[in-house]
Amino acid sequence: MAFAYFLGCIMNNRYPGIEKASRVMMEKLGIELQDMEGASCCPAPGVFGSFDRTSHAAIAARNITIAEDMGADVMTECNGCFGSLFETNHMLKEDEEMKAKINDVLSEAGREFKGEINVRHFAEILYNDVGLDKLSEAVTKPLNLNVAVHYGCHFLKPSAEIEIDNALKPTILDELVEATGAKSVPYRDKLMCCGAGGGLRSRDIDVTLDYTKEKLDNMTDAGVDAIVNVCPFCHLQFDVGQTEVNKKHGTDYSIPVFHLAQLYGLAMGLSADDLTVDAHQICVDSALEKCAEIEEMDQITGGE
Amino acid sequence: MDALRRLKKILTGEQEPEKEKKSEEAAEQPKSETETIEPEAIEVEEEKPEPEAIEVEEEKPEAETVKEEKPAETEKPEAEVAKEPETEEPEKTEEVEEPKEEPKTKRSDSMTLLEGREAETITRKDIDENFKQEVMDAGAESLALCFQCGTCTGACPSGRRTPYRVRQVVRKSVMGLKEEVISDDSLWMCSTCYECQERCPRGIKIVDIVKIARNYASQAGYMAKAHKMTGSFVIKTGHGVPINAATMELRKRVGLGELPPTTHQFPEALQEVQAIFKKTGFDSLIGYNWETETIE
Repeated sequence: MAFAYFLGCIMNNRYPGIEKASRVMMEKLGIELQDMEGASCCPAPGVFGSFDRTSHAAIAARNITIAEDMGADVMTECNGCFGSLFETNHMLKEDEEMKAKINDVLSEAGREFKGEINVRHFAEILYNDVGLDKLSEAVTKPLNLNVAVHYGCHFLKPSAEIEIDNALKPTILDELVEATGAKSVPYRDKLMCCGAGGGLRSRDIDVTLDYTKEKLDNMTDAGVDAIVNVCPFCHLQFDVGQTEVNKKHGTDYSIPVFHLAQLYGLAMGLSADDLTVDAHQICVDSALEKCAEIEEMDQITGGE
Repeated sequence: MDALRRLKKILTGEQEPEKEKKSEEAAEQPKSETETIEPEAIEVEEEKPEPEAIEVEEEKPEAETVKEEKPAETEKPEAEVAKEPETEEPEKTEEVEEPKEEPKTKRSDSMTLLEGREAETITRKDIDENFKQEVMDAGAESLALCFQCGTCTGACPSGRRTPYRVRQVVRKSVMGLKEEVISDDSLWMCSTCYECQERCPRGIKIVDIVKIARNYASQAGYMAKAHKMTGSFVIKTGHGVPINAATMELRKRVGLGELPPTTHQFPEALQEVQAIFKKTGFDSLIGYNWETETIE
């Protein structure tokens, strides 16, 4: 099995540990990740989708054509990138008029959208193509963490088009998280947005932080050791945003944040160094130490 | 809101805190005295769309008068300071007087209470007949199906903390109130979380409507500088969030290439991206200057 690996921006340009963990993990699972050479920003759906839908679709379609040339489905680990690429791929496959319009634009770059591939999200590939059984087997260091799962918005929605899971009552990420040995803890308004999307973070940070604070409050009430997400932008919002909330509201939230790939990296024995958690604004040591406790216990009891 | 309770209160003459506040405002602005009665009465029967629209517009004239008064106040001390060294006194004081008188006459005009009400009524001239069709043609065909149940606003996390009311965006778009939709800053408070769309009983593609409305707003120049900056980064580097020195160091440490295999590594790929932006006109939309590589 091979995928055209779409990087995007925030993962590769801010949190490379997510990329590293994904590459290591996928290799262990026997999935080949092929680089999409010359891919660009998806482009950012909040800004480009809001400013000019034609430009948005054209840049997204260009990225898709790179995967078409490779003859592979796209895999992305970012909800924003997934939203941009999935929406464009879906629209251009359905709407001949729009496809003609976009291909006219793409001819400037010597490209043509054909509609030959699918756009897939990393978490959905893990769940459907790899499967929970195989994932559980690959876990060498089970994690004893209580986790607040954050789905984000563009992973499952709009569900009428994406059709991955029930968008109002999903279980896919909870099951994936629990395959690592961690526990997904229910919390109030779990499916709420982190507040960063739609261009809101750069348009009005106060509103964004108000969203984030509400989520952090609810997660804290549930008593979690970490937040797990499947989107580097949500990841950034919970990591950097958490420090911004603290600064603005005088709070002292310090919930470690992991992308699902980093969580699997930990469970598969990758070092904290490889996960580049030192690049996080919020220290993750509390979560790492809690995971280490189980290892110590294993050494004493021989794993029983 | 308990409509019956409110109705009872109004009938028995019991004042609500909301109403008290309004009558306070009315004391400052005698003009709105009769109007406050009207929206209240309407609100009892048919809760939202109309009274809100009226309320929004009600504020406008107030804001205007405040604006007009301000320059007069701020200019005054300047003129006084200027008095001593210079001898142009009469000219300056005249300038100051004029704007000071204007709001006065306006205020006394509004004492007739009925004047200016025409401006607050939605008429044909506020309606862009094509707007609804334009939004539908741009991909939100489902727009016309809305029956204003308000489920969208109820599901909206931004609606809970900002003036953004997604149901109004849909209604105003159906009515063709283009200018009102696109000039409203709260249009940009949507985080595109799709909660409204997931719950819409008519299956309306609400987020598409919001995005299309934002497209028209952008064409009309209602764009935030920070958003234009993100646009400029993609034109310049291919990435909305370009690489930095710290991340290059991290990438090297974990055995990834210092630069990702994207437009960062392939300049010819960046040229393709730039050719696309030139073709769609995105560069001129955000005012990108190719020479200085910045926003004008």
